[in-house]
Amino acid sequence: MSAQDQIKEIVTTNDVVLFMKGTKTMPQCGFSSRVAGVLNFMGVEYSDINVLADDEIRQGIKDYSDWPTIPQLYVKGEFVGGCDIITEMTLSGELDTMLEENGVAFDKEAADKIREANA
Amino acid sequence: MSLEQQISEALKQSFAPSHLDVINESHLHAGHDGDDGSGESHWKVVIVSDQFSGLTRIAKHRAVHAALGKDILNRIHALSLDIQSDA
Repeated sequence: MSAQDQIKEIVTTNDVVLFMKGTKTMPQCGFSSRVAGVLNFMGVEYSDINVLADDEIRQGIKDYSDWPTIPQLYVKGEFVGGCDIITEMTLSGELDTMLEENGVAFDKEAADKIREANA
Repeated sequence: MSLEQQISEALKQSFAPSHLDVINESHLHAGHDGDDGSGESHWKVVIVSDQFSGLTRIAKHRAVHAALGKDILNRIHALSLDIQSDA
C-alpha cells in the first residue's frame, strides 16, 4: 500500500488522529507536545501516529494535506490544522464546537480550564 | 540577503502588511530536534494584512506558505504563524 493510501485509511477509520513527532505519552517536539497536551487534558480519545517512526508517512502526510509542518490533526477524515491553529481554536472555543459537531466526546470543564489559565 | 530578509520580502510583496514581525527563535531550540546548526531553523511570523480578511484559518496559513514558497519552507524546520486581518 502506498503512503497516501495508508494515510487515507488511517484518517478515515479513526475519528480523531494526530500525526506527531513522538507519541501522545512521549512527544519529541514542542509543537507536537502542545497539541497532544491539549487533547490529553481535554480527554479526547485519539490515535497518535509517530511520524519519526516512518519516513514515508513523515513526508507523505505533508503531501496528503499540502501542509509543510507537523503536527497535523484530523477529525473525521478532515484536516483541522497544526499547532498554531489548534492553539487558537482551543482558546477561542472553536475546537469545542468542531468536536461537538463531529460527535467527539471531550471534557468541557477541562477545555474551560485551559482558557481560564490562558486568559 | 539573509533568510530573515527573504522571508520578510516575500511576505511584504504578497500581502502589503500593516504590521510584520519576522522573529528568529532558533536559539530557543538549540540542540533540539530540527536544530541544523544554521541558527536559522525556527521562525515566528506575526503578520497583519487586510488581504487575510474573510479567509479561514487554514486558508490564511496556506496563503503564507504559498507566498514563502517551497525554497524557503524547505530550508526551515519550524514556522509559527500569527496571522491577523485588519480589514
